[in-house]
Amino acid sequence: MYFAGVDIGSTMTKVVLMDTKGTILSAIKGPTGPEHRQLANEVMRMALEQAKVPLEQVACIVATGYGRLNVPFADRQITELSCHARGVSSLFPDVRTAIDIGGQDAKCMKINKGKLVDFVMNDKCAAGTGRFLEVIAATLGIKLEDLGKLSLKSNKKAPISNVCTIFAQQEIVTRLSEGEKAEDIIAGLHDALASRVTALAHRLKIEPDVVLTGGVAKNSGMVKAMRENLGCEVLVPPDPLITGAMGAAILAKETYMKATAEGETLPTKPRRLEKATFFQQ
Amino acid sequence: MTDKSQGLSKAQEIYLNRPQRAKELKAAGKKIIGYPCAYVPLEMLTALDLVPYRIYGSIKEPVTEADRALPTSFCPFIRSCLDRSLKGKDDFLDGLVTAHSCDPQHRTAHVWESCVEYSYTHFIDMPGTVRADSLEYFKGQLGDFKKTLEAFTGKKLSPDKVKAAIKSHNQQRALVKEIYQLTRPIPPLVSGTEILQVIKALMSLPVTEGNELLTQVISEVKNRQDGPAKKPARLLVWSSTSDDTDIMQIFESGANVVMDESCGGFRPFRAEVKLTDDPIDGLADYYLNEITCARTFRQATIGEIKKDYAKDLQSRFGYFKGIVEDWKINGAILFLVRYCDPFAFEMPDLKDYLERIGVPSIYIEYDYTIGALAPIRTRVEAFLETIS
Repeated sequence: MYFAGVDIGSTMTKVVLMDTKGTILSAIKGPTGPEHRQLANEVMRMALEQAKVPLEQVACIVATGYGRLNVPFADRQITELSCHARGVSSLFPDVRTAIDIGGQDAKCMKINKGKLVDFVMNDKCAAGTGRFLEVIAATLGIKLEDLGKLSLKSNKKAPISNVCTIFAQQEIVTRLSEGEKAEDIIAGLHDALASRVTALAHRLKIEPDVVLTGGVAKNSGMVKAMRENLGCEVLVPPDPLITGAMGAAILAKETYMKATAEGETLPTKPRRLEKATFFQQ
Repeated sequence: MTDKSQGLSKAQEIYLNRPQRAKELKAAGKKIIGYPCAYVPLEMLTALDLVPYRIYGSIKEPVTEADRALPTSFCPFIRSCLDRSLKGKDDFLDGLVTAHSCDPQHRTAHVWESCVEYSYTHFIDMPGTVRADSLEYFKGQLGDFKKTLEAFTGKKLSPDKVKAAIKSHNQQRALVKEIYQLTRPIPPLVSGTEILQVIKALMSLPVTEGNELLTQVISEVKNRQDGPAKKPARLLVWSSTSDDTDIMQIFESGANVVMDESCGGFRPFRAEVKLTDDPIDGLADYYLNEITCARTFRQATIGEIKKDYAKDLQSRFGYFKGIVEDWKINGAILFLVRYCDPFAFEMPDLKDYLERIGVPSIYIEYDYTIGALAPIRTRVEAFLETIS
């Protein structure tokens, strides 16, 4: 018997498939694209193929993320906040504070016994998110995945005062024209972004150590900037992108086990991966 | 079998087409007076046979015209109100009465009076604090309001007419209170979404027609078999304005909204106007002291040399304690329109107070557009997951 978590974020769709012991059999990441449902099917199919698990043997599927309502084969929807909290606590059982920086939002979560107890999220704006770094990388003509490494070469962070993506972009152009080095500018940007996320996190009571997840946690320069701004150890899971999908899979497993223990049968959606459209009733 | 032409169905119909009745009344010779805020004493309009019509913005309509007349980085609600007016959506209004409910409304009012043509405009300078001398000042303001109303209508605003109007509006407040009693059972007999439709319908009708609608709704709800289902949480919504059912439905997808403190809800109806010898005194007291909007600051410590924080919280928010107990509330949504300073300043203290009385709350800010709905849904659902 198997369980799956499907996390449809603004940029990436992630699927984690696990067995009854909680062992991860496959974890697949693919682009979300404009049509949430169709790519969810595709990423799910890849996860099943890799694990060699037939869809009918998946006992419970939980969908999460912004596209959670667009997964026709998911049995339950749970917000990414609860799923991240569950995923983080399975990896780091003692951690009380987690920060996830994804493509379009940053969220800070307080966790107790695997459960989300409080949270804050950024405003509907790219400032303080992965999109900010994507735009900046494009402006500088640098690959997104190279930002971190490059920024670590900096000895002198360029001061960047704006965290608004558009204004920061203008500020970078000015700094470049003044002859600032790209690595100093990127280090300055990471600091600006980290200070904004830290200010958000301080609306909750931060208890060290802090776990950082989401695509931005793959950027070593950002992890360093978060350590400096938070003034405490920042832990990063081996694959920080799949924490939400993993939490969703764990919650799927726990939901199923609890229902079975109580003699209930969970209602499930048809196990079909065919294409669906938004407008189909 | 429910009669679709009255009660909740009727309220929903009016909610979806608020100007319709006002337009009919205008065609029959009545004068329709728009107002964008709960601080305009409607009794004085009703007393002169004027029809009060509450102006709302729309989260479904992008602000375009108002951006030519106003700065863009402030209250999107009042910008939306003016925007709709500039687009001619409220062109049946004969007059506009505004109040200094907050700085954006104050300054927008003056722009509004200049760029939309009305037969009558009046601005009420509402004091911001509850003090004996602000009450005296406010009475003077209502005296000025009386004068311009008399000049506009050519009729005398006699104390008897005002008293009769106060009685009708007080009856409306009592009927609204009765509806909110019907959210006390588990599950509630009426949903937050339905109440919002009823309240916005009332604010589109003359008071007597509103009271008739309320009477129908109450009798329908008391006898209904198809009320809301029981949800895991019973919520209080505290908001400057939450006036769209799309948002209320997000709140209610995983909870029952059983009480609110909002301008599309209970706030304008919570207390009642005292019938004083000079009825203007009772109105002044009610509109300054009794409306529980964050725009009025209620300082507990006037005359004391040191602030007692607990006492201050009690004085400003103490009335929530009984509500939380009586309505069995186990969570609160503090729902703010972006840039709403009065509510944003009040929010941290209220959050603290609610925590002290054991009510978890979530603070959500939105920009008064439908673009905000998905982020609102995520925050609300995550909050409900934390309290369930």
